[in-house]
Amino acid sequence: MLNSGRIFILTAFGLSDVKRRPSVIQVLISGLFLGGVYALLAVGLSLAFGIMGVLNLAHGSLAVLGAILYKKSLVLHPFSPWIFCVLATPIFLCLGFILHLIIVTPFRNLSQSEGVVASLIASLGVAFILEDLFVWWQGWEPISTYFSFPTFNLFNLKIPGLRAVLMGMAAITIGLSTLFLKKTDRGRSMRALSQDQETASLYGINPGITSMSALGLATIMAGLAGIFYSVLYPLGPRDGLDLTLKALFIVVAGGMGNLRGPAVAGLLLGLLESFAGFFFTYTSTDTIVYSLLIVYLVLKRGRRRQ
Amino acid sequence: MKIWRISFLTVILGALVISAAYFSEGYLGIFVFSLIINGIMAVSFDIPGRSLGLISLGHATFFGMGAYCFGISITQGFTFFPALILSVLLSAVGAFIITLLLAGLGHGYYSLATLGVLIVFQRLSETLESLTGGSAGLYIPETISKLHCNILAAFLLLATAAGHVLYSRSRWGLYSKETEASEEAAEAIGIPTRKVKTASLMISAIPASMAGLLHLARTSHVSPVSGFSLTLSITALLASRIVPARGILGPLLGVLLITAAEEVIWTKFEGFNHALFGLILLSAAWYQGVQSSEAGLNLIKKFRVGEK
Repeated sequence: MLNSGRIFILTAFGLSDVKRRPSVIQVLISGLFLGGVYALLAVGLSLAFGIMGVLNLAHGSLAVLGAILYKKSLVLHPFSPWIFCVLATPIFLCLGFILHLIIVTPFRNLSQSEGVVASLIASLGVAFILEDLFVWWQGWEPISTYFSFPTFNLFNLKIPGLRAVLMGMAAITIGLSTLFLKKTDRGRSMRALSQDQETASLYGINPGITSMSALGLATIMAGLAGIFYSVLYPLGPRDGLDLTLKALFIVVAGGMGNLRGPAVAGLLLGLLESFAGFFFTYTSTDTIVYSLLIVYLVLKRGRRRQ
Repeated sequence: MKIWRISFLTVILGALVISAAYFSEGYLGIFVFSLIINGIMAVSFDIPGRSLGLISLGHATFFGMGAYCFGISITQGFTFFPALILSVLLSAVGAFIITLLLAGLGHGYYSLATLGVLIVFQRLSETLESLTGGSAGLYIPETISKLHCNILAAFLLLATAAGHVLYSRSRWGLYSKETEASEEAAEAIGIPTRKVKTASLMISAIPASMAGLLHLARTSHVSPVSGFSLTLSITALLASRIVPARGILGPLLGVLLITAAEEVIWTKFEGFNHALFGLILLSAAWYQGVQSSEAGLNLIKKFRVGEK
């Protein structure tokens, strides 16, 4: 049981010699890199929920779409992930706008609780539709877009350069989004809308355009997270809902509607998964992670009630 | 309850019971059985869903629990009825623990936590291979005839429907409505909100677990994906919401619509059944949106005038 867990971690590190046992610090580093991708995914979801009150269950499917688009683009030209991220940003922004028309606009007259349920059902519908389209478009085989990049040594630790760069890019994306929300007019409008829609409208903020921009930004984050994930690990065409669930739990654990909490919770989930895979088997990772998250949810809620 | 509503309900339930006894074999037998199972899931889902407003995305957890408890009991050498009693008891204990843990959660958190529980059970049933058969699932020999299975399922549906009506008209049903309106206000007037939630969720969980064991008894196979199925949970949610009728008429009519649509999708559109199911979900959500908008209301009014 332990051995297979270690082999998984070694493979996840990209180490060719599976007999070598990674140190705890290396597991920690790997967990942080994976956590960076989760953080990016969860921050997008939290943004959408915080501003529009929409639990977008198609968020993970948009990540898978990012991975598929990157894989398809490699046939045309061997883009590096970072170049493709820049190229794909406007595509995801437009997709976010379209998604807004499907899962937000039709429910603007419903009460808040009814709107949440309706958008939840609609986004689940979109996720199901996308899943079948992905299978039809690229088949059942997992999407893997490995990109060769040198490894460097730091204090006798082998750091995979690619993971470090992707982690850095995830951090930059989250940082830029935070700056956007704090320093730009559109960002301030989004924050105002998340606090009080009616008052924000009285100040001349257009709720439709602002929430559309927010979903656009969230979709960009989902797409980029999918590109990064597919570079690190293979991603199945039907893994979208799994990714969404992980992102949802991160958002719940980190606090709905803010960016810092989910970013930290995403890093913690990455670490938790890495250590669970190291000490147990890969297949037991999800069981451990979800059980801990449910316990956390129950305890957190219990504390609030007190 | 209006007389036409009672008559309509009696016709639907009566038709289901008669068809369960009449069509036990072949394609129609399977269709009627899945209609009844979906009915049990939707009506049981609707008990806390309607009175407490709690949306469980993991209602199929109880279905899977019942199926696996029954399957494991049979593989351990029990006959049908002892295995049935044992698995109902075990599922009830499991459901009690789960509901006790989750009853304190608010609406959004509750939906997510139930979904998490569903995934945990799905993964556990994949991991505990020696007990559950792993990803391939559990196969059991035929324990009762398909006809008996259909009849038992039909009576379970009747019992669940009766439970729904009795609960919603009981003191606890009124407590549930108060709890949904405002939990704090309900607590202030002395309603034990946590007990109310736990009771409502337990009443919902037991028929679902019994549906799971009957499904396994009829089909002889359960796997992590078919037992702890997100699609089954979503079907129950959708069936209980899609028809805007009060009481159990809503979920029952919803089940007729959704099961028929699912049947067409799964048999006629191979490769795109998820997408079509997604389209149904989208349409159901949009319909809710159209009903609430001014333009939509005008359209509906015009349509009704035109009908007259």
